[in-house]
Amino acid sequence: MSDEIKPDELLNKIDYGPTKKSEPASWMDTSTQIRPGMYCYAAKAESVETLSLPNARPWNPLEDDWKLPDNWQEILHQGIKERLEKFRTFKIFMDVCVRCGACADKCHFFLGTGDPKNMPVLRAELLRSVYRNDFTTAGKILQKFPGGQRLNGARPLTLDVLKEWWYYFFQCTECRRCSVFCPYGIDTAEITIMGRELLNLIGLNIDWIATPVSNCFQTGNHLGIQPHAFKDMIDFFVEDIEDVTGVNVEPQMNIKGADILFITPSGDVFADPGTYTCEGYMILFKYLKDKYDLNVTWSTYASEGGNFGFFTSHETMKRLNAKMYAEAKRLGVKWILGGECGHMWRVINQYMDTMNGPADFLEEPVNPITGTKFENSKSTKMVHITEFTADLIKHGKLELDKSRNANRIMTFHDSCNPARGMGLLDEPRYIIENCCDHFYEMPPNTIRELTFCCGSGAGLNAGENIELRMAGGLPRANAVKYVHEKFGVNSLGTICAIDRAALPTLMEYWVPEVEVCGIHELVGNALILPGEKRRTEDLRFEPLPGVEPEEEEDE
Amino acid sequence: MDLKQILKKNKGAIVKEWFRATIDTYPAQSAKILGKDSNRFDNPVGAATHETIEDVFDLILGDFNQEMLEKALDPVIRIRAVQAFSASEAVSFVFALKEIGEKILDDSVIKKFDKLVDKIALASFNRLMKCKEDIFLLKATESKRRIHRAFERAGLVAELTEEDLLGSKKS
Repeated sequence: MSDEIKPDELLNKIDYGPTKKSEPASWMDTSTQIRPGMYCYAAKAESVETLSLPNARPWNPLEDDWKLPDNWQEILHQGIKERLEKFRTFKIFMDVCVRCGACADKCHFFLGTGDPKNMPVLRAELLRSVYRNDFTTAGKILQKFPGGQRLNGARPLTLDVLKEWWYYFFQCTECRRCSVFCPYGIDTAEITIMGRELLNLIGLNIDWIATPVSNCFQTGNHLGIQPHAFKDMIDFFVEDIEDVTGVNVEPQMNIKGADILFITPSGDVFADPGTYTCEGYMILFKYLKDKYDLNVTWSTYASEGGNFGFFTSHETMKRLNAKMYAEAKRLGVKWILGGECGHMWRVINQYMDTMNGPADFLEEPVNPITGTKFENSKSTKMVHITEFTADLIKHGKLELDKSRNANRIMTFHDSCNPARGMGLLDEPRYIIENCCDHFYEMPPNTIRELTFCCGSGAGLNAGENIELRMAGGLPRANAVKYVHEKFGVNSLGTICAIDRAALPTLMEYWVPEVEVCGIHELVGNALILPGEKRRTEDLRFEPLPGVEPEEEEDE
Repeated sequence: MDLKQILKKNKGAIVKEWFRATIDTYPAQSAKILGKDSNRFDNPVGAATHETIEDVFDLILGDFNQEMLEKALDPVIRIRAVQAFSASEAVSFVFALKEIGEKILDDSVIKKFDKLVDKIALASFNRLMKCKEDIFLLKATESKRRIHRAFERAGLVAELTEEDLLGSKKS
């Protein structure tokens, strides 16, 4: 007992002086340093103007003056107030967090960057601290006492706080991994969504989002490709596929009265290796046309499945999404089939029906070849292509030659939105297993509902923020590296256009031996088209495994 | 006992302290989590840091060359190259080893030990530069690919293949 410290001695140890410089400061005291490599360029004024969004002007995040409207605090205050009244979830998520820390180490950006403000709890706290200060009774009372704000974890909305919001709400890919671990089910992605909506009210968007949204609104897709160029690109694929298979797979385009309207992200049409996935869809539709007389049409009007409006505001998301139903109505199809995309499916599965629905002019989707009712799509009328293809395989409707993919030792990256946003987990795996001989799963804490994001989603796949992308993708790459070393995995399959654009660069940095491919690229290679020639090359014009290339006839 | 024997004998303690010092280069709130001995997929930075430090330490106990050292350091430097560290901060963890050495080594071997640490430091600088170059090359390659696609669509680059364009990447 004699070694115990006496109360007087204990009191003597208390240091009443100010915090020393060497001691870690509270997160509220560390101001944000905007570091090149971690942020995306500011939205171009013309793109903001196209959408009639507020405060279009050139600005640079690295400069002190962000050219904000004089009453920016008032606009944001009003914006928060309106959203608290309108969205019950937002109000609950602001109030209910007990800061237990269960989410803290679940975010790929935190794990990769080591920046504490990327812990989901702290990222949300950036907004919550202002909410406590300005919108709660306790906050209003406590701010009248010295130290009361700090006691309540509250702070006023200053320019430094605003800059911190901008920096960190664009360091979240809205992947929702953290929400899986939250005992209250707080969806931190929705807090980021709200944060970005608020930032948009004073013109603080990034260009990698604003310009695609503007393009999509004006021209029909994120890349701003006009209808004839879209058609040209598809024609180009028709030629390539004919070289490989000997079959002309000319697709149906803008056909009224077709059975199904097919919509995919425009990245599949314009960015490698998504283009090979696009060729896979085309081969599948040709097969279904020839064998079962199924008419699938593409559209140059609804030429974008992705929806970067989702990363801007709910109104913008609604505007871009509306054209899917509008086109389905115009063409008079029975239902819509959607391609391999990520956030497109969260928009469809969770918002489309209440945003632009009910689409009661469409039929409840049924696979006309197998008779399967797609119960999950009963209300949205839009079916995921891997669910559709898996159903065809399950009923023995596709003739597949697995040996053509024998060189691929596969693993599968669950894309965040299809996995966590709609529970699509087994269908892509089923297709892989039917198209490839070798498939190995990554460790269980990195796949399915617990999948790690690619680090480039939610509009963050720009070039200028590459350090953020490489750090954010580290937990995913770390798991790929493991299966590469253990099982010799050389191919990373995925069902998202952003993944197909982002993961090749991520792999080149962390695991350069691994190539990225879409699931319907595998289908396109394996599917035996009626009347096809003996294939010697895959869709990438690489020699097929075990097939001797044909001798050139030069005599 | 010569230097390597002393190091071998104290391996457990040195690796533990070196790991702690490396993790403490992160902000305190993060270091608390990254320093945990958790599953390597739940804590990739902590796991890679621990494994690398142990591998590098094992390497210097035997015969090694610069190339082997750089390869062993790669996982941790590759991570620090994309994090919010300046170049000197990114490799500073190597110098922590000198302070750890001072505590357990006597004057007869300390100079030799310091030279060993200098070798690790130089290898780290090389590797950091390599990673930074990789990052800028990836950035350039992504832009080149995007632009090439647009030129190709416009029919302006019929003769120039993507391989030609990205040739610099392989050199």
